[in-house]
Amino acid sequence: MSQLLTVEGISKGFPGVQALDGVNFELDRGEVLALVGENGAGKSTLMKILSGIYTMDSGRIAIDGDEVDVNDPKVAQKLGISIIHQEMNLMPHLTVAQNIYIGREPRTGPWLRDGELNRRTKQLLEGLNIHLRPSQVVGDLTVASQQMVEIAKALSYDHTKILIMDEPTSAISISETQVLFGLIRSLRDRGVGIVYISHRMEELRQIADRVTVLRDGQYVGTRRMDEVSDDEIISMMVGREISAGYSSRQDVPAHTGELALSVRSLSTKKLLRDVSFDLHKGEILGFAGLMGAGRTETARALIGADPVSGGTVAVNGKEVRISGPEVAVRLGIGYLPEDRKRHGLMLEQDVAFNVAMASLSSNKAPLGFLREGRARKVTDRFIKALRIKTPSSRTMVKTLSGGNQQKVVIAKWLARDCDVLIFDEPTRGIDVGAKEEIYKLLNDLADEGKAIIMISSELPEVLRLSHRIVVMSQGRVTGTLTPDKADQESIMKLATQNIEDVAA
Amino acid sequence: MTTQRAEDLADAGTQSAPGESVAAEAARSGRFAALGQGLQQVLAFGTLIALIIVFTIASPKFLTITNLSSILLSTAVIGILAVGTTFVIITGGIDLSLGTAMTLCSVVTGLLLTDAGLPLPLGVLGGIAMGALIGLINGFNVAVLGLPPFIATLSMMLVAQGLALVLSGVKPIYFTTVDGFSKIALGEIIPKVPNAVLVLFGLAILAGIILRKTILGRMTYAIGSNEEATRLSGINTRRWVLAIYTLAGVATGVAGVVLAARLNSAQPQLGVGYELQAIAAVIIGGTSLLGGRGSILGTVIGALIMSVLINGLRILAIQTEWQTVVVGLVVLVAVFADNLRKRRAEGGGHR
Amino acid sequence: MKSYMKATVAVLAAAVMTLSACGRGNDAASSGDGGKSNLDIALVSKGFQHQFWQAVKAGAEEKAKELGVTMTFDGPASETEVDSQLQMLQAAIERKPDAIGYAALDPEACVPLLDQAKQGDIPVVEFDAGCNSKVPVTICKTDSKTAGALAAEHMAQLINKKGKVAIVGHSQINSTGVERRDGFIEKMKKDYPDIQIVDIQYGDGDHLKSADIAKAQLAAHPDLAGLYGTNEGSAIGIVNAVNELGLQPGKLTVVGFDSGQAQIDAIKSGVMAGAITQDPMGIGRCTIDSAVKAVKGESMDDVQDTGSFWYDKSNVDSSDIKPKLYQ
Repeated sequence: MSQLLTVEGISKGFPGVQALDGVNFELDRGEVLALVGENGAGKSTLMKILSGIYTMDSGRIAIDGDEVDVNDPKVAQKLGISIIHQEMNLMPHLTVAQNIYIGREPRTGPWLRDGELNRRTKQLLEGLNIHLRPSQVVGDLTVASQQMVEIAKALSYDHTKILIMDEPTSAISISETQVLFGLIRSLRDRGVGIVYISHRMEELRQIADRVTVLRDGQYVGTRRMDEVSDDEIISMMVGREISAGYSSRQDVPAHTGELALSVRSLSTKKLLRDVSFDLHKGEILGFAGLMGAGRTETARALIGADPVSGGTVAVNGKEVRISGPEVAVRLGIGYLPEDRKRHGLMLEQDVAFNVAMASLSSNKAPLGFLREGRARKVTDRFIKALRIKTPSSRTMVKTLSGGNQQKVVIAKWLARDCDVLIFDEPTRGIDVGAKEEIYKLLNDLADEGKAIIMISSELPEVLRLSHRIVVMSQGRVTGTLTPDKADQESIMKLATQNIEDVAA
Repeated sequence: MTTQRAEDLADAGTQSAPGESVAAEAARSGRFAALGQGLQQVLAFGTLIALIIVFTIASPKFLTITNLSSILLSTAVIGILAVGTTFVIITGGIDLSLGTAMTLCSVVTGLLLTDAGLPLPLGVLGGIAMGALIGLINGFNVAVLGLPPFIATLSMMLVAQGLALVLSGVKPIYFTTVDGFSKIALGEIIPKVPNAVLVLFGLAILAGIILRKTILGRMTYAIGSNEEATRLSGINTRRWVLAIYTLAGVATGVAGVVLAARLNSAQPQLGVGYELQAIAAVIIGGTSLLGGRGSILGTVIGALIMSVLINGLRILAIQTEWQTVVVGLVVLVAVFADNLRKRRAEGGGHR
Repeated sequence: MKSYMKATVAVLAAAVMTLSACGRGNDAASSGDGGKSNLDIALVSKGFQHQFWQAVKAGAEEKAKELGVTMTFDGPASETEVDSQLQMLQAAIERKPDAIGYAALDPEACVPLLDQAKQGDIPVVEFDAGCNSKVPVTICKTDSKTAGALAAEHMAQLINKKGKVAIVGHSQINSTGVERRDGFIEKMKKDYPDIQIVDIQYGDGDHLKSADIAKAQLAAHPDLAGLYGTNEGSAIGIVNAVNELGLQPGKLTVVGFDSGQAQIDAIKSGVMAGAITQDPMGIGRCTIDSAVKAVKGESMDDVQDTGSFWYDKSNVDSSDIKPKLYQ
């Protein structure tokens, strides 16, 4: 029997850049093929060609040995190729069933048959072992459940043979990831071929059979997962050796011990209960926990972005009342939000605009005139210092890669000279090479005496960088660990603790 | 200094240089985007020139000094409103109270100058202050009470309309007793250029400088681009929204004074529908209704396109009904062009 | 900010209607005693802001006082709000007055409501503009075609019966706008073949828009002999255009319609040759008078023309014209 999917010599150029240059790979029935590469390596372009959004310049695609011409998303669907995009395409106000069968609703003439719709959906969800009710409104679901709906939607086309998943776990927690993997495995066992795009090495270990690496639009190679090491994959991706081992914990230098921030019994109406912790100068304080544990909420309450119902905050030993982000900034506390694109950046503005945002008021001329020249100079310095890959300070931030966007946010706060920096998922959606740079940057900032809070859902990252680790569960701090006592198991134990257990 | 420190630490940092293609790709889409940014303005300016050429060919009566002067004068009131509301639209907001608020300002100016008998400059300032007050209230409703701009300004539209009628006693207020009032609009410091036109261009230049060169302008773009990110950058966005609506209100007040000066009377029943013309001029000028993008130059060109188009169609004696249809189509084309530009810019970058 | 917009658009239509409908309370002139002998008459007008309607109201109030009846006067904010006017009419019917006086904004939409009034045994008299219904017993109005013809007659004499004339209209839909225009055009065609009507455009009675229209017409036809504005806003627009262009007073013959301070001033200064005025107070008086007669069952003519009158520099201050000038 021939290969399920064969891709040979695909090339695609855009004006000024060759996005793909002779890429090959093969996918078997019942196989999970990981597709990795840094941002800009051409993964998304390749997936868009496979799903008919782009047309290739040259190359050949064959399904079951027959050459096909995927020139339109509809054709891709007919051929049994389904894609789950990184950003979700669900309508939050509609129900699960309505979302899955949007545009294909069972009906009699102009009348919808809701019963039939829900029955079909129920059957589909049961078949996939997804525990959701067809009538649930999608907006009320967790991100992970929404992801499940996306998958169910992709598989609701009866003959889906090839499923492409673009970073499906980027927004969901560890335990939810396990549920997703269970689903992927059952699909695989049914003979569906899956192309899985991800940046997370430990996930590839769990789920992928083989891995194909792209770099700069070119095919680098394909390996069996059980025959290749993480470091090997990473060096294939970045094209050079990574000096520090990726997942090994590095030596953590000691901090000076001077108190920068002291939080006591911070509470909010919605979630937080008596959150207390100390942060020292030169310290990286890791925040671990599952999705919804209250880590982001703690950060937002701390800087006054969300209303607080109780608790005290002291900066440099002095108690303060932080009524809004502008007060936090005045006190030297900067927050780098989890969702960079929605909360951290002005995507349609240029780099200098974004870098200058936090320091505008302290850097303006009389009558409110901007010091444009100075702002550009400062930005240019940071572009160099942080190695932000951008053609110039006048480039729209939207066009930069995730890692470089993150650096722009960091530059914004460095330009403001903040003493306390709160990083919320600093490496989410950032490729491996750039991650290393961000880690290095965090360490250097701490060495320099900055106090850093790092919220992260990637345990290896937390373990590697943190001087101490605060673990949260259901709005409470369930424990604070030092690196010598912390490992993935001990953190997960605290992170999954129930409130009742804590109270008891 | 932090910057220095940051530089040092990065210099000591890793030598890793992730894929060069990232920069290359960014450069490419960056160029696309820059092209798209200017495109709408170039397009608008081209449209303006094209319209002038077409009308000149169609009628020898079009391109005369007197008619050009008429066109400029007919641009003044809508143009001033449009310049002010460009700020509001760049923040992603909308102001439906423009038209009737303008009327209320001209009524207030009328009362101050006739009933109260204040000297001319004070009466004018009073009218402008009324505009600022209306803007401030709009800003308060949007920024502090958190009302959607559409609703907040819709109710202001009705309130201002009612107040204009009440204050004027449902009668026009004539400025015949106020010497020199109509000179504000109709005097000609520069021959053949009515002062109202100078007011428009003066205000536009001032607004352009504020939008491009001052922190207020920067905040206008920032809030329109991403209000939450602006807030999290430690900026008191409420205060700025308040300031932006107040500024737009000042322009409304100026428009009210200029309108009253041109008519030499305050007509309390006028003004409904002017807001939509002003908003249309802003859109034609390439400012995005979604916020974050726009320019004063574009708005002025947009307002000129509207008045050239209407004047030309009138000179050609096209039926009034069809004139309205044509203006509607032009707005449609402008919005479509904006969409097209956006799609091209996005097609270039990766998602 | 933006996300609210979509969500609220739907609510708006309703909101606008409700607001504009309830925004104005009844402009009641009832003098409070409400004694049983008093007749209660509800007037639903086409508007109330414009001075014209204020004069109608004043005339009606005068007559009501004279006859000892109670009246209310109501009307929508603008003459495009057909819907809210119908709601006002509905409310008036539900109040069960002794008679209703009605000026139709739309001649068709009012038909079922007037039938309803008939079922409730409420006699209806119309004023200014009629409804296509057999229910009303009479209408008090200016015959707009006659008025338009009167304007044409004076225009023709003033320009020596030849030359080009243009019209700035205030509406191509509303009956007064149409009839004042058609009366003018028909008269010119019939009696003055050397006068050519070169352009008709509509400025909605907006002073500013009308001024810009007049300027465009003058640019297109520099040899224009006369301009006719079909209501106050249109006429003042023309006057503004003449002033802004710095034309010699009298070079262009401007004929206006209705009155108002600005028109009277323009006539006195010579920018405007003259204008047609109606007798809005007369309309108001006639309406109340007819309403009382209708209650008593007296018969009346189907149409009562309250007249149209030419005024110019020579008679603007005369005792004949002065009371008919509303401002």
